[in-house]
Amino acid sequence: MDILNFNNIAFITIALWIIGSLFILGDQKIKNGRLIGNLFTITGTLVIIVFVIILWIEIDRPPMRTIGETRLWYAVFLPIVGILTFFKWKYKWFLFYSLGLAILFLIINILKPENFDKVLMPALQSPWFVPHVIVYMLSYALLGVSSVVSAWGLYLIKFKTFKPKLLNKADNLVYMGFSLLTLGLLFGALWAKEAWGHYWTWDPKETWALLTWLSYLLYIHFRFRHKHKTVTALWILALAFIVLLICWIGINYLAVSGNSVHTYTS
Amino acid sequence: MSNNKKIIWQYPWGYSESFIIAITLMILGFAINYISKSTVSTIQWPLNLFFGIAIIILLLLVYFLFKKKPFLKWLSGTPAAISAICLYTFLVLLMGFIPQGSPKASGFIHEIGLYDIVSSHAFLFAQIYFLVVLGMVTLKRSFPLRGKNIAFFINHFGLWLTLFAASIGAGDLQRVTLTTNKTNAVYFGINHKGEAIHDLGIAIQLKEFNIEEYPPKAFIIDDKSGTILNEKLFYLENGNSGEIMNWVIKVDDFFEYGICMGDKFHPIYDIGAAPAAYVIAINKKTKKVKEGWISCGSFRFQGNFLKLSDGMILVMADPEPKRYSSKVKIYTTSGNVFETTIEVNKPVTVDGWKIYQSDYNHDMGKWSDISILELVKDPWIPVVYFGIFMLIVGALYMFWIGNKK
Repeated sequence: MDILNFNNIAFITIALWIIGSLFILGDQKIKNGRLIGNLFTITGTLVIIVFVIILWIEIDRPPMRTIGETRLWYAVFLPIVGILTFFKWKYKWFLFYSLGLAILFLIINILKPENFDKVLMPALQSPWFVPHVIVYMLSYALLGVSSVVSAWGLYLIKFKTFKPKLLNKADNLVYMGFSLLTLGLLFGALWAKEAWGHYWTWDPKETWALLTWLSYLLYIHFRFRHKHKTVTALWILALAFIVLLICWIGINYLAVSGNSVHTYTS
Repeated sequence: MSNNKKIIWQYPWGYSESFIIAITLMILGFAINYISKSTVSTIQWPLNLFFGIAIIILLLLVYFLFKKKPFLKWLSGTPAAISAICLYTFLVLLMGFIPQGSPKASGFIHEIGLYDIVSSHAFLFAQIYFLVVLGMVTLKRSFPLRGKNIAFFINHFGLWLTLFAASIGAGDLQRVTLTTNKTNAVYFGINHKGEAIHDLGIAIQLKEFNIEEYPPKAFIIDDKSGTILNEKLFYLENGNSGEIMNWVIKVDDFFEYGICMGDKFHPIYDIGAAPAAYVIAINKKTKKVKEGWISCGSFRFQGNFLKLSDGMILVMADPEPKRYSSKVKIYTTSGNVFETTIEVNKPVTVDGWKIYQSDYNHDMGKWSDISILELVKDPWIPVVYFGIFMLIVGALYMFWIGNKK
């Protein structure tokens, strides 16, 4: 159990990510800086992945039940998305953002220790559980990055240095994130039919997941027609992410969440 | 809007017209709810089938007769689509903030239908508007169908079909709760309005109800207030040991089915038998040792706890179910008699009914003498699933391609 101490793992991961980021940041001055940096960030990500796998085996159920456990997945997927997009587009800020956010999630989990309760209610024991949560977490990671593009864009507009090309990057992320959002919603519907008798019951989480989906749907349609109205597009993108955050976290604090099958107990 | 000084309602229509129409539809819906004091009722088989076919024919006719008209250009364009998405989103947003189906609902908000938005006229109009615009744009891109439009078609038609089939099929959805017992076969259920439904064509008798449970958790609680003091979890399993709140606890003996006789628990399998554990607790600071039997008890037997110190007791929580299932005997009017097992997440299909394991008597727990099943009939499910399947294919394609054109 000592090896599995979450705090130690989290600190090791955070350290590896920070060292890696520093190497990448200074890759002009350090020989092979980028290579070494990549190795560090990848190793850090592998460490947290291995931790999740061991945890999964240890508690004998997918670690996806509580909000803390979904934060852990976020800390796995964000760096993966960040590293892959960094390889593709070479944007350093992109990588730093995803690593920074992942570090934030790990720190929240250190400050709010989990019990890793073994109990998983029978309705959650379904082959749909894992794909449903994984596509959602990956989608949230992608859309989270797109939201930073929107915030960055709105910031640049203030200083009149915004270039519309930036939004094309966001578009790609939104298309990928939105398609996974669609899959998550549909997997959830198919699972609900098997577990609760109907594919759609307007459960508060379902309602907010649909709202999230509709918000990004709106963004896609607006962008499709109005390539040049970038400011409106940036605002839609930023607001859509707020809806996503309410769906993911805020829902537990809303009056409507009383009898949701998605209310996480932690 | 971008056209310089275009007079409103002059073609081509843009965002102003689209949003005026969307908002008018919504207000009209609220007004109908308010004046008629009624909600939208669903239509049933076979009326919904005729209605559905009529709508499809109407959409096709309107499209092919008027596709060159500016009105139809608007109806299949982006401003109409965006206004339809916005109207739909706005009503779902209200649903996201206003608790739905509130039993004490009254007042203006109730009268315009906002406590039950799904059954409100505003939502009905929003859905019709959404489906008409989505239908028109699908037709526009489908005739003639070009290779580059296939992904568009799969996504848009898939969504249209899913929403359309789900809406017109809603009236045929039947959900009935059936409480089975071991003494006789039950042939009727209760619907969500509390009415007894007799014509199920099916009767079910409970043969055996099974629960597999997680090992029970131990808690240290304040014996006056009953609040749980420990944060760390400890499972009571044979041989397990661990530390909670300065107490090192070891499980020396554990029976899943135990009954107390005298001052000792014995492994006896009889109605009401409850998990029991013999625990040894050592205080790390004072080295004080406490030991004894703890049990969560059952509907038949009292529980047992171990006093650790003043104000602190060690208790066993009721074990939580890992899975539960019912072995049942099913009789159908078509003459079939057979036994099967129904488990959570593993429904069984019989004569058009999908039968789900729903609940049991929680006071009696694993000794429950009843099992509550839910029977669901939804004849439109194949059509909805076909739409969902199209959407899944469309989403996978979209993920692969991104927005590269």
